[in-house]
Amino acid sequence: MTDPVLSVENLSLRYRVPGGSLQVLRDVSLSVQPGEVLGIAGESGCGKSTLAAAMIDLTGANAERTAGTIRLSGRDILSLGQADRRRMRGRDVAMVFQDPMTAFSPVLTMGSQLVDFQCNLDGVSRREKSDRARAMLARVGLSDPDLAMTRFPHELSGGMRQRAAIAAALLMRPAVLIADEPTTALDVTMEAQIIHLLRELQADYGCAIVIVTHHLGVIAELCDRVAVMYAGQVVEEAPVDALYHDPRHPYTRALLACDPARIEEHTGRLPAIGGRLPDLTAPPPGCAFAPRCPLASDRCRTLPPPRVTIGPGRAALCHEVAP
Amino acid sequence: MSSAGRKTVLGALLRDPMGAFGLALVVLFVAMALFAPWIAPADPIKLNVTQKFQPPSLDHLAGTDQLGRDLLSRIIFGARTALSIAVTSVGMAGLAGLILGMIAGFGPRWLDAILVLVFDSLSSLPMIMFALAVITVVGPGTGTLILVVVLVSVPAYARLIRAQTLALAGADFIVAERAMGASGTRILLRHMLPNVVGPLVILLSMDIPVVIMLEAGLSYLNLGVRPPTPSWGNILYDGYTSLRSAPYMVLVAGLPLVLSTLGFTFLGEGLRDALDPRLKGRGHR
Amino acid sequence: MTPLLSIAGICVDLQSGGWLSPGGGARVNILSDISLDLAGGETLGLVGESGSGKTTLARAVLGLQPTSAGTIRFKGADLCGPADFHAIRRSTALMFQDAAASLSPRMTVGQAVIEPFAIHHESVADRRAKAAELLAEVGLPPEMAARFPHELSGGQARRVGVARALALKPALVIADEPTAGLDVSVQAEILNLMADLKDRHGLSYLIITHNLALVRHVADRIAVLYLGRLVETGPTRQIFAAPRHPYTRSLIAAEPKPDPRRRRRDLAIKGEIPSILRRPQGCEFHTRCPVAKDICRSAAPALQALGPGHSVRCHFPETHDKGG
Repeated sequence: MTDPVLSVENLSLRYRVPGGSLQVLRDVSLSVQPGEVLGIAGESGCGKSTLAAAMIDLTGANAERTAGTIRLSGRDILSLGQADRRRMRGRDVAMVFQDPMTAFSPVLTMGSQLVDFQCNLDGVSRREKSDRARAMLARVGLSDPDLAMTRFPHELSGGMRQRAAIAAALLMRPAVLIADEPTTALDVTMEAQIIHLLRELQADYGCAIVIVTHHLGVIAELCDRVAVMYAGQVVEEAPVDALYHDPRHPYTRALLACDPARIEEHTGRLPAIGGRLPDLTAPPPGCAFAPRCPLASDRCRTLPPPRVTIGPGRAALCHEVAP
Repeated sequence: MSSAGRKTVLGALLRDPMGAFGLALVVLFVAMALFAPWIAPADPIKLNVTQKFQPPSLDHLAGTDQLGRDLLSRIIFGARTALSIAVTSVGMAGLAGLILGMIAGFGPRWLDAILVLVFDSLSSLPMIMFALAVITVVGPGTGTLILVVVLVSVPAYARLIRAQTLALAGADFIVAERAMGASGTRILLRHMLPNVVGPLVILLSMDIPVVIMLEAGLSYLNLGVRPPTPSWGNILYDGYTSLRSAPYMVLVAGLPLVLSTLGFTFLGEGLRDALDPRLKGRGHR
Repeated sequence: MTPLLSIAGICVDLQSGGWLSPGGGARVNILSDISLDLAGGETLGLVGESGSGKTTLARAVLGLQPTSAGTIRFKGADLCGPADFHAIRRSTALMFQDAAASLSPRMTVGQAVIEPFAIHHESVADRRAKAAELLAEVGLPPEMAARFPHELSGGQARRVGVARALALKPALVIADEPTAGLDVSVQAEILNLMADLKDRHGLSYLIITHNLALVRHVADRIAVLYLGRLVETGPTRQIFAAPRHPYTRSLIAAEPKPDPRRRRRDLAIKGEIPSILRRPQGCEFHTRCPVAKDICRSAAPALQALGPGHSVRCHFPETHDKGG
């Protein structure tokens, strides 16, 4: 295997909150190979968005890293100075957010913002930058890029804005594109188009893509490999086909089981996962999923689960899973 | 996580040093005004010409004025004058603004259009000029002062409440009430009212010192409270006319003015922070 | 049997912009000629993208949105004036997409769930016990009554919304995106709860959603809206097995399948839903339709019955029979 373009090693991160600290990421290790599409799946509160933000060094002011490193093309980004980190964002790694409205300034035209995003590009005239922006808008499927350049963000539809946000992210030809719930705010027909677009762009530009979403359908459509997160940990990591057809971790199984889109039979009743997420201000000593797990034994409740390697690129964080 | 009760607003206010300081000053002045007859060492209007221009001493802690009246007592009773005028006028204006603003925001559109026109014309009047004009017509006095303040400040309060009400009218929980069949009155009183008064209370608290200053200013010009009723404004005027013989008088009258202004302003700012929903535990959504 | 709710020929028009804005005063047609029946105990799924008018339709049923034409009958009685709508609001309940925002922010959960009684001047002997009973019905502990809406999780707020909806034992519950923003595991809990309550109380549901996977599991019948027009309506199984309108087909095909072995090769639908201010001539869908012909650009198709309870508004419904 080649060197990963982005790797997170044993990352632990907590948020300071009134009355304690929330351990949002606990010993997370994950790597992204060049040109692969990695999906990070999980329910709200599992830490997936925090992990995405950490990958681009954009965690909030109340976040505190307690352990671990993040390497981008082999360099430890957390040891870099502020100026280098800023240069790294946008050039080596770029991000697309759930709400594309927030990614753009409401008072500037799309054109001027897309030109400004290229500020790290030395020795390129403003005219060339503008041409590049226009070409990129055309590439992401805006039917009239010249018109779009003169528009303000609120004058574009949600789907157009998300396309423009993707264009902005790709302008610097990043090695990794991180997309946090890129289709959640969109209608299903637009979602399908954005998925299609991301797949095409990945094939064209060969950049690695990290998709963070709670939508299992989006991951199945788009990703090569999946990491499932629960309560701040990656509980299962697998190639996409294996994850959907041979899930090993009990949480992954439960999550797949209660997706109505996977159930063909019209029953009126759906499987659910009983119980609640653990309190992350005081994570349980054993497996975080044990209270909701049908397989849980005493060992699961007291001892932290081991990371069991199941096969090439497959691992699960579970006492009960067989290698 | 804390509940949104009154207790936590007070708690949040006390946790903020400026807010707590403001609250303490306001409580001090309110107590002074309420209990003036009991805490004042002497009668504030009793003349004693032999004792005039006494500098501060054990007999007269703040000295006496040109007519030998005890200045500390006049200051304490002055607090009563200042606060009663400020609280009455701001309170009346606030109540009128609340009612008119909610009617404008929730009532029929034509009524809203008329009310907005009235608010706009009233608020285009400059406060001091308008006050002087009314005093010329009606004559100076406490009632005139209150009338002026109410007329000038109602539009600002009504506009605030109108904006809040309009914003709430489309909120899901108001639509939910309508969908359940709730009457307009019920929606207005049970659901709109508690959600719009917060910002108004802050604004009122910030406006009280403005009125105190206005009262003092007009009384200084002999256009406000009529002598011999003690007012910080006319004490200040007396002090100014006898600045050479009794320089302490200006200080003694100016200090409560400054402190009460600071107190109400800090309280208002503290309240704004304490009532800010973003600073309360709204959950991470 | 008379249907519980029967709407016929409903139109909703809105004034575009203020009366001072240039070109203002133009009427924009939001809903046009919508007719639907809902039988007692039935669940009808109202499906469409944002901007299709599905929420407007729900509000029109309750008289929260003035209609410009059409009739609404509830339990066989015509609804005309405010008094009639007061009656339908007594026996229907509306559940909102953002459940927490639909609760009055300064009222406790306990106050909120028994508020319907106060609104309809019905006395409750023991308010605390009644609140606890309603909360128990949706699986929440009685302590929850002391909470404020902002202290609830998404699933809890949703349950409180259901509890309040049930207070007056309604015949019909209108649920606007009942599981939007919920995680799949919580979504399943809420849907199961709604199904249990339907069985227990014989409720009818009108479920408004863009989530096709959801309606397939909960709805008996489906009505598909596009730009304020009803384009297809029919039994759920039949529509999913053989959708007749190209828009319905595209919607079903657009839903990402949670199975990497069934990845789509090509796009079922291109472009975006047009702005309601620039409604296309002829068939509204022709700008995105894969099978549009000349007639679709000029003439609007009429709703035609294809079978019992199945109708479609398309010039060429039969041409998609194969390959489905």
